[in-house]
Amino acid sequence: MGNSLKRNRVLVWRETRAAYLFLLPALIFFLGFVIVPMFLCLFYSFFNYTMNDFSFVGLQNYVEMFGDPIFQKALVNTVIIVVVAVPTVTVFSLWVASAIYKMNAFSRAFYRCVFYLPVVTGTVAVSVVWKWMFNKYTGLFNYVLNGIGVIDEQINWLGDERTALACIILILFTTSIGQPIVLYVAALGNVDTTLVEASEVDGATKLQTFWKIKWPSIMPTTLYILIITTINSFQCYALIQLLTSGGPNHATDTIMYYIYYQAFKLNRYGYGNAMGIFLAVVIAIFSLIQFKVTNNGKND
Amino acid sequence: MKKLIALLLTGTMVFSMTACGSKDEPATAPAEEQSGETAETESGAAEDAASGDAAAADITLWTYPVGSFGDAATVDGFVAAFNEKYPDIHVTVEYLDYTSGDDQVTAAIEAGTTPDIVLEGPERLVSNWGAKGKMVSLEDLWDEEALADISATSEAVVAACKAPDGNYYEYPFVMTTHTMAINYELFEAADALQYINEDRTWTTENFEKALQALVDYGQTNTGVVYCGGQGGDQGTRALAMNLYSAQFTNAEHTEWTMNSEAGVKGLQQLKDWADAGLLAFDAGIQAADELQLFANGTLAMTFCWNASNQAQYASQTAFTPYAVAFPSDDAVPELAGGIWGFGIFDNGDADKIAAAKTFIEFICDDEVQGLESVKATGFFPVRSSFGNPYEGTEDEERMATFGSFQQWLGDYYNVTLGWAEQRTEWWNLLQRVEQTSDVQAEADLYAETCNAATAAASN
Amino acid sequence: MKAKRKSGYDILVIVVMIILAILMIFPLYWIITGSFKDAAAINAAVPEWFPKNPILENYSRLFEKPALRWLVNTVFMAVMSMALTCITAAMAGYALAKKRFIGQALMFSLFVCAMALPKQVVLIPLLKEMSFLGLHDTLWAVILPTVGWPFGVFLMKQFAEGIPGEMLEAARIDGAGEIKTFTTIVMPMIKPGIGALAIFTFISTWNDYFLQLIMLNASEVLTISLGIAKLQAEMATDYGLIMAGAAVAAVPIVTVFLLFQKYFTQGITLGAVKG
Repeated sequence: MGNSLKRNRVLVWRETRAAYLFLLPALIFFLGFVIVPMFLCLFYSFFNYTMNDFSFVGLQNYVEMFGDPIFQKALVNTVIIVVVAVPTVTVFSLWVASAIYKMNAFSRAFYRCVFYLPVVTGTVAVSVVWKWMFNKYTGLFNYVLNGIGVIDEQINWLGDERTALACIILILFTTSIGQPIVLYVAALGNVDTTLVEASEVDGATKLQTFWKIKWPSIMPTTLYILIITTINSFQCYALIQLLTSGGPNHATDTIMYYIYYQAFKLNRYGYGNAMGIFLAVVIAIFSLIQFKVTNNGKND
Repeated sequence: MKKLIALLLTGTMVFSMTACGSKDEPATAPAEEQSGETAETESGAAEDAASGDAAAADITLWTYPVGSFGDAATVDGFVAAFNEKYPDIHVTVEYLDYTSGDDQVTAAIEAGTTPDIVLEGPERLVSNWGAKGKMVSLEDLWDEEALADISATSEAVVAACKAPDGNYYEYPFVMTTHTMAINYELFEAADALQYINEDRTWTTENFEKALQALVDYGQTNTGVVYCGGQGGDQGTRALAMNLYSAQFTNAEHTEWTMNSEAGVKGLQQLKDWADAGLLAFDAGIQAADELQLFANGTLAMTFCWNASNQAQYASQTAFTPYAVAFPSDDAVPELAGGIWGFGIFDNGDADKIAAAKTFIEFICDDEVQGLESVKATGFFPVRSSFGNPYEGTEDEERMATFGSFQQWLGDYYNVTLGWAEQRTEWWNLLQRVEQTSDVQAEADLYAETCNAATAAASN
Repeated sequence: MKAKRKSGYDILVIVVMIILAILMIFPLYWIITGSFKDAAAINAAVPEWFPKNPILENYSRLFEKPALRWLVNTVFMAVMSMALTCITAAMAGYALAKKRFIGQALMFSLFVCAMALPKQVVLIPLLKEMSFLGLHDTLWAVILPTVGWPFGVFLMKQFAEGIPGEMLEAARIDGAGEIKTFTTIVMPMIKPGIGALAIFTFISTWNDYFLQLIMLNASEVLTISLGIAKLQAEMATDYGLIMAGAAVAAVPIVTVFLLFQKYFTQGITLGAVKG
């Protein structure tokens, strides 16, 4: 009895040692270049840290943050982006993937490439083109929509509070669905076909087959996609910087852009870090919720 | 657990150190090789040629794209000319751009890897980095002769390069005035040229008539008050303040004053014109976009023009871009200026600072090189003794036109502290003016925010 | 299988797919055609759908600049990040998914929580750290944080979940050591996952802009993103040159994507086959 317990402990230790040896290379980079800066970031957030000042201010930055009207506006915009983009990207990529995974190898490869193109092209270059497409005077959208008679005035897509955020979300959408589609096509291609056929023989409708057979087996993919899309949407920044600078009238300010603005344009690193810590906590909470929800569905 | 983390951390550090040691080399090797070569080939000549104040040093220069100073071919030529005289000073040049340059300098300051010399204007050199104690005072470059020579051109230039603490953080060499420009043929066709005076000024009243004439002619895209970001904002500032001769700041540069009666009147006027369809606000574009629209004939005028733009866009336009001053109620405009020069970052190495000063002096004041440097920018010398460097060149006529605007050079308020905050607040103000019914309230809000930033920066 | 019959739904699928495909392809199409246009054509008030007078000048001007150097640097950076990420993440993902060890839950939560951290937020601390290590202004200042980023570990953990425990047990009974088990059983099974991670890492490193902007200054270490960004000026944007740069930058990634995409057909899937 005592002997087997001891043996068991030896085994656990051996397993633990082996596990950490496997983790070691990743941990070196992870701790060194993510965790250490993260703690520095937390540390700086209690300081009035600027280009020529570094004095302890306690929670001052956090207090200021919650009273900052632009921060509040940015928070609302960020939440809108996440709430709109995450479900649309996930649903749409699943829909597109289920449309193309049954196709022959060539069309499948073709569509996969097509949807991956905006990711491949790079944000800077893509936004140059989108900026032109949205241009009020010479842009493609106004040109086409006027041409086919849908509108009879020039719409200032990026310069109008009512449309600017929607335009940003549209671009974010096109640059975000590539990776999910690729993953979903692969996942759907791996669903056990015998199960699918069996359920179809049993007279299940397409929808039933999907929910009963396919959905559970693509769950881990969905979880991964939900999490990365959430994180990417929360961190939307480059598009804002390249296209609207947060305007018009703060209609497209996001927290990430505001952090950049405070830290790099006004050199208020401490304040920027405080907002960054806040954002990280929010994203972490969102991710954990997604984890709980999707994992429960899988395991029980 | 703690022990483990500590162990891993140490491991990381050791690992990255070795990684750095072994892999760092390919990146830096070319530079070393190069400097080694120069030192070798010129060591013989150096012995007799080295002048007293030029100790051997490796210095770096970062340039913002001021005319051809953004172009490697030109700057390499200047460095070569410099090395003929001072072979022991090795200069490495890196080129910044206006989109990301500030972020790079910020990063370099925080990482402690700032260059020795940087080329830009007083709003960065003096009132940003200088005011934050990152720059070296350039007292010795501003000797009596330089001071007198530059003062003779404009006292405003001298004032702009001097920080409130009395130190000079910039040694300037060129300046210009920013104007606006119109599509000459289009104005001619719309019979609107009559509203522009002989000396290229116009009154606010006539400007309105010209806008009306353009609209009547069928040109509904007259001009655009671009406010999608800070790019080229000197144009919209000059437009709004000149309409009723407002002052952008007080004379001491301690307070922002566009919420004054004249300032609000100007902003209100822009809004009224926009409401009447004579002009438009556009929160979707910045100056670069507006210039494209002007160049392709979409817009009848641009608010962002200067000698350099005229040269750059000349080949692209199918019409004649005709530079004019900003309209003003008394037809006496106050134009925004641009002043460019060099500053030295304080890296704590006396030899490098000395070498940097030698380089700056050569580029700005050398008999031959000084004129070349000015010409490379396409702007005007700050030294009155340089006369007209464009005389007898193909650029003479164009430069004479722009030279004539110098007489209306206004106060260089860009050195007011809190400048970076103000720039953002300004285009945000314009966006709000378009929407609001109470321009005064918006202007007050703008002034209040900017003044708070200025007060915070002065402490 | 099924009879071929186009229902209303199928037609809707086709129409929507075509519209989406156009939206996806258009930016790249416009970049490539734009790179052959002169300034006036790019800037024309009426769009020129296809370059009427194609020119090569944008490319010749691009290669007057050290564009090749930018490409070499970027390839080095992306390949190093890709290789290191794949190796470290595959090992760590396997351990997290298949080992039962002390501190496992803590480790996994740490990785997941750190994913929530926006990269830009840690830039200033990272910058301080890199300058302390003497790595600022070297390509390693970009590579090391990229490798440390926990996405790869998370992705590989999801893949490694799919390895049946019986196979590992069988290997152990056969007397295979830890390393042998990893190289002969685990690696082949998660190869498609590694392929996917390789593509994702390569492309995101290639396109990432801000980390490079902050960490790299010297012209010897400039990358293609930075190089392209430097082509823009405040008063005039040389779209022809930028588009030529973007087109040149896109070629290597499209190639990598096409090379590696065969892994996607080999039946990758995330997560456990329930047993």
